[in-house]
Amino acid sequence: VIEYPLIFFAGLAGSWHCVGMCGGFACALGSDPRGRGATLVRQLSYNLGRVTTYCFIGGLVGFLAAGLCASGVGAPPTSAAQRVLAISSGLLMICIGLQFLGWFRRWHGPLLQGFGAQFLAPALRDLLHMPGPTAPLAFGVLNGFLPCPLVYAFAAQAAGSGGALPGLLVMLAFGLGTFPAMLLMAGLGGWLRRVGGAWRWRRRGVDLAGAVIVVLGLITFARGVVPIGAHLHLL
Amino acid sequence: VTANGTTPALCSHCLLPIRGPGHERQVQGEDHGFCCYGCCLAFQVARGEGEESEAAWLLIRLGTGAFLSMNIMLFSLLLYSGTFESSDGDVRPVVHLLLWVLATPCMLILGGPLFQETWYAAVQRRLTSATLISLGAGTAYAYSTLAVVTGASEVYFDTATMLLVLYTIGRYLEAAGRARAMRSLAPMLAIDRELVTVLDGGAEARRPVREVTAGTLVLVRPGERLGVDGIVVEGFSHVDEAVITGESQLVAKTPGAEALAGSINHEGALVIRSTGAGTATRWAGIARSVREALAQPSHAQRLADRIAGALVPAVLVLAGLTVLIWAQWAPLEQALLTGLAVLVVACPCGLGLAGALATSLGIGRLARRRCLVRGGQILEALAGVRVVAFDKTGTLTVGATCVTAIETDGTPADEVLRLAAGLERSSEHPLAHAIVAAAAARGLRPALTAQARAVPGCGIQGRVEGRRVAAGSGAWLAELGWPVPVDLARSAGGLEAPGAGLIHIGWAGRVRGVLALGEALRPEAPAAVAALRRLGLQTVLLTGDRAAAAARIAAGLGLDGCEADLSPEGKRAALRRWRERRGGVAMVGDGLNDGPVLAAADVGIAVGSATDLARETAGIVLPEGGLLLLPWVIGLSWAVRRTILTNLLWAFGYNSIGLALAVSGHLQPVMAAVLMAGSSLLVVLNSLRLERFAAPSDHPRPEDAPAAEPRVLDQAARPRAPAPRPATSPSDRLAPRGSAANHTPETTSSSADQMFHHRPPAGSSRRTRPCGQSQSPPG
Repeated sequence: VIEYPLIFFAGLAGSWHCVGMCGGFACALGSDPRGRGATLVRQLSYNLGRVTTYCFIGGLVGFLAAGLCASGVGAPPTSAAQRVLAISSGLLMICIGLQFLGWFRRWHGPLLQGFGAQFLAPALRDLLHMPGPTAPLAFGVLNGFLPCPLVYAFAAQAAGSGGALPGLLVMLAFGLGTFPAMLLMAGLGGWLRRVGGAWRWRRRGVDLAGAVIVVLGLITFARGVVPIGAHLHLL
Repeated sequence: VTANGTTPALCSHCLLPIRGPGHERQVQGEDHGFCCYGCCLAFQVARGEGEESEAAWLLIRLGTGAFLSMNIMLFSLLLYSGTFESSDGDVRPVVHLLLWVLATPCMLILGGPLFQETWYAAVQRRLTSATLISLGAGTAYAYSTLAVVTGASEVYFDTATMLLVLYTIGRYLEAAGRARAMRSLAPMLAIDRELVTVLDGGAEARRPVREVTAGTLVLVRPGERLGVDGIVVEGFSHVDEAVITGESQLVAKTPGAEALAGSINHEGALVIRSTGAGTATRWAGIARSVREALAQPSHAQRLADRIAGALVPAVLVLAGLTVLIWAQWAPLEQALLTGLAVLVVACPCGLGLAGALATSLGIGRLARRRCLVRGGQILEALAGVRVVAFDKTGTLTVGATCVTAIETDGTPADEVLRLAAGLERSSEHPLAHAIVAAAAARGLRPALTAQARAVPGCGIQGRVEGRRVAAGSGAWLAELGWPVPVDLARSAGGLEAPGAGLIHIGWAGRVRGVLALGEALRPEAPAAVAALRRLGLQTVLLTGDRAAAAARIAAGLGLDGCEADLSPEGKRAALRRWRERRGGVAMVGDGLNDGPVLAAADVGIAVGSATDLARETAGIVLPEGGLLLLPWVIGLSWAVRRTILTNLLWAFGYNSIGLALAVSGHLQPVMAAVLMAGSSLLVVLNSLRLERFAAPSDHPRPEDAPAAEPRVLDQAARPRAPAPRPATSPSDRLAPRGSAANHTPETTSSSADQMFHHRPPAGSSRRTRPCGQSQSPPG
């Protein structure tokens, strides 16, 4: 299955998008005075929390979507409901991907405004400076729920993936893809943000992620449209 | 802030009144009271500052609990979808053990505060919604632990932990939504917590407002709210006094100027010497009244509270019965799960919120327009009002006599008025003052008068610019042998009918003009009455004044009814009659001398007097000149009632559908928890829609004037009056002007013309104007 590496790659490229907000958090988490090992634990627990949230979203969405589609026992996974789901999640992904590429600018606002974010965000800041590994973990978990179009895109893919496990794996691949950038940010974020060229790289990464999301969206979409003749298993 | 006898306790977080025992916690060394678990959580999160704050610890608990429960959920989802079944059968017990390892700390972290609350409530012999949730989550956990030990096939750790997470998050979001709803009220209600910078011999100290006494020097920095009433002793700035006086323009403050508590300082720092105790300011008074209003629940809210109170034990019984019945034919665990779903979905969380939030939002919206309401039940009663009864003097009229119309025999009206004013200047009669004032208002210089001599009960005569002029009753001038010209007699006949006081003026052996004197309408009265009628309300005038004067006012405003010569007892009887005939009656008065009458109505509304007396007898106090706000206030009360109804309908309907699904075993406990959290959130969001209820426009619509033609408004006296809408707009073409006033022009045209028309009919020299409207351009 080529999708998971592709998703990982999208996460990797897309995480340049996250550098603005989540990267800032990773920087702010800072280093542990007890040394490099402790700092790494701190950063890893933050990322663990974040990826757990992603996986949870993916698994749940996949499970619910599959449950929704398998209304009849023994119904094939390519039932009409499954198709509708694949088409709509594919379209959603294409929209989000195109938005990354600079289309639909007007949609940017409403997509990013979450009900809980405005209450949580100020309080979350305090968590950043708390000692111990649970604070970054908790921070990561809550951070994972902050509205983010990348997460929405892959949640849509997870919904179309047809089960709890594939949904979980989609989000896991995406989450792992965001690991390197986040860890890098923690290490040399300050430097990276000061360097003039970094902005251009970031823009390129975001464009790349948008392109990958569009491709993935097309694949998901195609699964809903193309007859059961399964050439797509090649992908 | 907890109850201390006089002021009712409000929740420190959402500012809604605390009903029942509530929660009391110490946050950052201060005692705080909370109405619910969610507010307690959210307040600590919002108020937490600094690294070791409770807020951060709370979020850590929440985050860690969520981490654990999400992992439990993930593994459970994989179990449900059969991922572990393909491998050999020994895996499941291991996964179950892993789930137990994850679930146990989660139960302690998230369930701890909930179990604690349940315990406190149980000690006080109370059952709360927390009881239901802890019982449900506890049962699921205990059963699953047993299953791990005995090696049973199913565990429900996911249900137990997700229940706790969803309950916590739901309550938290609900509290956050409520706090957002009440945010605009915070400056009024947080007066107890407000701090001011006190200058004490060169040293600055932050002190609570309540500790400020007269003579204290207070420093107000730019952007800060003034905490005290006082005199500016130093500095220059502009302040926004809108909350207190309703003045929308910034007011300049220089040393010596009076400053009002509650206003917001703009650009410069001010030093203010307090003129009274910090708790005795007008702002504190408004805040107190709003607080008291919030603590007065409406009948709907009381009912909902009572139902919610009775519902918890009922739900427990129902859940128990469900388990018993299901256990008859289904496995025990399925029976338990069904009972659990019943327990969770029937949790009456949204019910307690249905009325309180909407009512408080309504009271808050009104308070921001300086309309004070005594409580939720008043707002509720106002929504049921069908008839609005008005007192006359001071409410619909300005209370002073003035010239309302002038008829002449062809002599210019100004000339008549000039001579009359010259003569009447030497009289002490009240009508004389009105004539002199009318002349002054037109910029006329009264004519020079000699040998003026008053004839008591008849009038006054003297030599004005060499002519013998007399002004007085028509009978007296007839006695003098001065006839009334035929034309003038005809046109003055219209004046006589509604019973206005008439003054005849004559010179050179003939009556030259007739002045009509009467009470002038308040400028906002016609628009307010028209707007009330548009809302479909009956409007009635109840007055102790003479029938003729009352009829003139009633007809001029297009009121539906008019009862005059009423004693206060007669007014109360009239209110009773209208109530029997039409339903709820609101009485609008000035609150000064009609207190008992206001108290006798379903809703007493006092306009323009924020005196304590008025507040005791009136349910609603409108600001000075606030008659125009009345239609908006009534509209808002309708919106509040509608919101409460939809909330209740939602809470009950949703819960009963959920309950039916749960009892019949069609609802997973986790889904029930999602529904429960969503239900109260929807109630909050529905109530929040009241925030978007349109604000009242300060401008009366041109078509609000009941006359067939728009009034020519004096732009100098009413600077905010808008230009009349172009008559070409489609609505104007469809609906003729004045049609809203719902009376035929024939029946009222004469009086309406007298009151409002400046344009004389062709061929006549008739010139009238409402008084108080100085310098009107001739039509």
